[in-house]
Amino acid sequence: MSKTFEPKILAFLCNWCSYAGADLAGVSRFQYPPTIRVMRTMCSGRVDPTYIFEGLENGFDSVFVFGCHIGDCHYIDGNVHTAKRMNLVKEVLGLAGIGKDRMHLRWVSAAEGQLFADSVKELSEVTAELGPLDMEAAQLPLAAARRTFESPRLRWLLGMDRELTERENVYHEKIDPAAYDQLLKEAAKEELEKALILETLKEGSLSVRSIASKSGLPVYTVSQRLGDIERAGQVDLDRYEGTTPLFVSLAV
Amino acid sequence: MNTLEMAPKKKVGAIMVVGAGVAGMQASLDLASSGYYVYLVDRSPAIGGIMAQLDKTFPTNDCAMCIISPKLVEVGRHINIELLPNTEVESLQGQAGDFTATLKSQPRYIDLTSCTACGQCSQVCPALTVNEFNQGVDRREATFMKYPQAIPRGYSIDRDVCIGCGLCEKICLAESIRYDDRPRLTDVKVGAVILAVGNDVFDPAVLDDSTGYLRHPNVVTSLEFERILSASGPYRGHLMRPYDREEPRKIAWLQCVGSRDVNHCNNPYCSGVCCMYAIKEAVIAMEHAHSGLDTAIFFMDMRTYGKDFEQFYNRAREEHGVRFLRSRVHSVTPVGDGDLEIAYMNESGEVFTEVFNMVVLSVGFEVGRETQELAKRLGVELNENRFARTGSFTPVATSREGVFVCGTLQSPKDIPQSVLEASAAAAASSILLSDSRWDEAKTESKPFEVDVKGEPPRIGLFVCQCGINIGGVVDVPAVREYARSLPHVAYVEDNLYTCSQDTQDKMIEVIKEKNLNRVIVAACTPSTHEPLFRETLESAGLNKYLFEMANIRNHDSWVHQGDPAKATDKAKDLVRMAVAKAALLEPLKEPALSVTAGALVIGGGVAGMVAAKSIADQGYPVHLVEQASQLGGQALKLHKTWRGDSIPEYVEMLISEVNAHGGITVHLSTTVGDVQGFVGNFSSTLRNGDQSLQVEHGVAVIATGAHEYKPEEYLYRKSSQVLTHQELDARFNENDPRLHDIQSAVFIQCVGSREPERPYCSRVCCTHSVESALELKRRNPSADVYVLYRDMRTYGERELLYQEARKSGILFVRYSLDRKPVVREVEGILQVTVWDAILDGEVVLSPDLITLATAVVPNETKLLSRYFKIPVNAQNFFVEAHAKLRPVDFATDGVFLCGLAHYPKSVDESIAQAQAAASRAALLLSRDSVYFSGTIAQVDPAWCSSCGVCVSICPYSAPRFVESGRFEGKAEVNEALCKGCGLCTASCRSGAIRLQGFSDDQILAMIDAF
Repeated sequence: MSKTFEPKILAFLCNWCSYAGADLAGVSRFQYPPTIRVMRTMCSGRVDPTYIFEGLENGFDSVFVFGCHIGDCHYIDGNVHTAKRMNLVKEVLGLAGIGKDRMHLRWVSAAEGQLFADSVKELSEVTAELGPLDMEAAQLPLAAARRTFESPRLRWLLGMDRELTERENVYHEKIDPAAYDQLLKEAAKEELEKALILETLKEGSLSVRSIASKSGLPVYTVSQRLGDIERAGQVDLDRYEGTTPLFVSLAV
Repeated sequence: MNTLEMAPKKKVGAIMVVGAGVAGMQASLDLASSGYYVYLVDRSPAIGGIMAQLDKTFPTNDCAMCIISPKLVEVGRHINIELLPNTEVESLQGQAGDFTATLKSQPRYIDLTSCTACGQCSQVCPALTVNEFNQGVDRREATFMKYPQAIPRGYSIDRDVCIGCGLCEKICLAESIRYDDRPRLTDVKVGAVILAVGNDVFDPAVLDDSTGYLRHPNVVTSLEFERILSASGPYRGHLMRPYDREEPRKIAWLQCVGSRDVNHCNNPYCSGVCCMYAIKEAVIAMEHAHSGLDTAIFFMDMRTYGKDFEQFYNRAREEHGVRFLRSRVHSVTPVGDGDLEIAYMNESGEVFTEVFNMVVLSVGFEVGRETQELAKRLGVELNENRFARTGSFTPVATSREGVFVCGTLQSPKDIPQSVLEASAAAAASSILLSDSRWDEAKTESKPFEVDVKGEPPRIGLFVCQCGINIGGVVDVPAVREYARSLPHVAYVEDNLYTCSQDTQDKMIEVIKEKNLNRVIVAACTPSTHEPLFRETLESAGLNKYLFEMANIRNHDSWVHQGDPAKATDKAKDLVRMAVAKAALLEPLKEPALSVTAGALVIGGGVAGMVAAKSIADQGYPVHLVEQASQLGGQALKLHKTWRGDSIPEYVEMLISEVNAHGGITVHLSTTVGDVQGFVGNFSSTLRNGDQSLQVEHGVAVIATGAHEYKPEEYLYRKSSQVLTHQELDARFNENDPRLHDIQSAVFIQCVGSREPERPYCSRVCCTHSVESALELKRRNPSADVYVLYRDMRTYGERELLYQEARKSGILFVRYSLDRKPVVREVEGILQVTVWDAILDGEVVLSPDLITLATAVVPNETKLLSRYFKIPVNAQNFFVEAHAKLRPVDFATDGVFLCGLAHYPKSVDESIAQAQAAASRAALLLSRDSVYFSGTIAQVDPAWCSSCGVCVSICPYSAPRFVESGRFEGKAEVNEALCKGCGLCTASCRSGAIRLQGFSDDQILAMIDAF
């Protein structure tokens, strides 16, 4: 079945390099499978991480992002941000159980028509191997992953990455990039856990154990993250069923 | 040579208090209110210590935060207390009376003078860490306030967690963020130092994890459990276990974790508080539970040795059904999904297992590493248990002169003992520095006041946006415009922060410019901000009672975030009601009362003598009354303190010091015949036979003591070989030769204590027996010595004495109340039969000597109770104003309590309490006059029907009948005693009593305005 399966893929191409590279592939008649549907953005830096999940939620089996090679960005270094964001997107896709390979980032210059065609071919095969995204199973993690990248905390941390690791923080210190990367990953994990809980609570009041079994999170993790969400005023204790407290989402 | 240089340098009238827990706060308040300037230093960004983390306090189950937060506010606002949070003492140079302390303050990164504690910074902060205040049960941000009621009220940045992203600075509307804040070194000159740094709680993570603490989240420490129970804690007071938030149906407490233990840690002492807090937690948890909660406490000895503790224990067992398992716990093993199996051995050595849903480790106290280093820097000696070294008769003096200690750094102890020691340390400092009293301290000046009587109300209204805390929900401009239409409102404005310094300055201008004579602030809560705004009114020349607040934040915008329209309507209602009241506000006078600078101390035992001497040493004359023909009291009959110091030698010295003291007039064979007057102005009649003497005094200290119970049982008085403790001590003191022949001795504990007719524990007898048993062993090492006990209550460091006794071969046999020992005389030989629970069999002993550890029974209390209007409990001990925070005060102002009349206690504890009473007394004696609140009740004699309901209902004895003159027989309220609660006003059948500031017309106007 996977041999005959032809995935549908959403591809973001930056205007100056990869879009032009794709044009060149056409001009050069480099053949590649008819899997991708292209979105043109001026810079790969325009690709909001939530678009990846928007794509997957709408039936695409994978999302590709193409940008200029590092150093070639027409907006100085927008693609550096893209790289950092998409790294984290992959991390979250992995954590959420959707699969890191449902998203790929490649650099293709305006002169690399062949590379573009080859990349699409190669990544399409990778996606075909994965098979179609099981929407039934992926619905909750996708919604949660999307919510993760909507969280003001993660967006802020992502946005401040280079300011804090390459220039300086308010104390005139540089943060070690590896340490910041770790911090980002931890924050993403926590935000995903919170998002999973909030998404699960959409069906009504639930106990910690039922949130855990529905979200796949460990019981104690649910208890701990629930604490964070409660502190932010997004969840409250609703009622008891015997000795089991049920929690309700206050998020709109 | 210049003779001036030879003259002793004047001592510095300032004191540094290190540690701002409940002990440090009490010491600071006592000193700051009696004429000294206080530097209160704490490592933490906020004051309050461990008590602020507790949910409830034993044995009254008072809410800890409710009773500590007024003290926090008082400390924060005191003109003679300079708070130095985030600060450590680097060094202490100089000597008693003239120290220079070098302080290092860590940067806070948020400017306290402008921070309004709105909390926006922490809401956006992306960096999280464990929340130490909630003991790691939940998390907090890098920008944080330690807890919602924290003083100083302001946030700080935890630099270890902060990533420096700069978001808080962008969001802070008050512009309070200071990333360039730096550590600061400051020198302060002080005459004395009080160490009140407290203890750490034991961290079970250092154990070999037989408790499962590291392996399972449902094993928590007792302090974590306090936070879980607390309504402001991580689970908002819902009883939940951390792993899955299920409400546990079975909880176990394991006692003595990190205490009485030299195998797993080096803490041989008993922490003194864990038995009581475990019982309290069990009872409170049961109250919180939705369905039946089973609680079990695994313990070795149940140490409920304090006032009302034993009754608390009995109620927990009999009424609440808390299970008490005398046992040794072997291990805790996680089982199933979240449960824990406890393996334990009972007294007879049988091993059992039982599964619980949650396990609480009753962790003890421990002197932290940082404190040990501090002690080293300050040159203060610690003892073998790492507590500050103190003497039996100088319980708050450290090894360095001029440096005093109180609270758990002195030795493990509970809150009231810490509080009274704090006052004792304050008294000791004050004695040292009394020549410099008022040198550094400021006095509050009464500002000029504009007379607004007769003027029509002109109300100024200030509506606060509180950044976006109010303005983000309530439509503040709409409230502002609405308020313009209200009657008597002459001026309205809204502010970003009404409490900020620039707004305060502007408010003063506006009041003068617009001729305002009433002010309303619609903002946060009067509990934190009323004093501030009242001060602003005073600065503008208005009487401070012409102020009213409308709480449109804590009671409105914060709680109706989802419904701005209704929140705005509610704000308008609250403002309208405030306006209705404000129009009726009147300027109130704060009555001043002159104080007779002298004390009457009743009781010439150790407590009374120490109290008298501590007051006289501070420069105030004392009359010391003793009904016996000599001073000394019970201490005359004792041998040694639990630390092994000779009591007779000390008492002798104390008596001669008191007799020689120029400030103390001793009245022997004298009783108090009658007492007239009230705080500051007492007049008492002293009777000695037919003679009587009238003395005037501002305060009184009750130290009437107690005596040894003389039992009817155990062949007492029938056999010459059966003695009480004091009788044995007399033989020790006399070096009685009979003691050398004793081959076998038995001590019987709890004689007359912990029994239905006397349900309390007499506290001192276990330690006394252990010390006397050791003394017998010292005199005759081959003697067989047995102690028959119910629970060994060698609390605190006294535990080491118990360990020494066991090592020396003294045998301890436990008996239970239903199988008390039997003493017989068989053919002239004493025979003691006791059922040994461990052997599960009868043991028969034939001692040469039986010592009965008999109860401590209070002396006569009725007359003084009536004279001073001070209550006694069912066992005739006097009842202090508050079991936790006012352990030496009475509800009746100006009367203080110490020694055995309060409760059984050891000599060192009596001395500390006596010094504490002296400190509290000095608060009044140090002033020519004291001011009282203007919010007091007044009787209109024309309406009074003389029914007396106000006289009987008042807890402070403020109302009384006028004795002569035009209004004879009518009630009047003593403004010095009235606390302004309004109980009398709401009970008066004739509507004759008016509570100023909360009068019927004012309250009704508010209701009607709705």
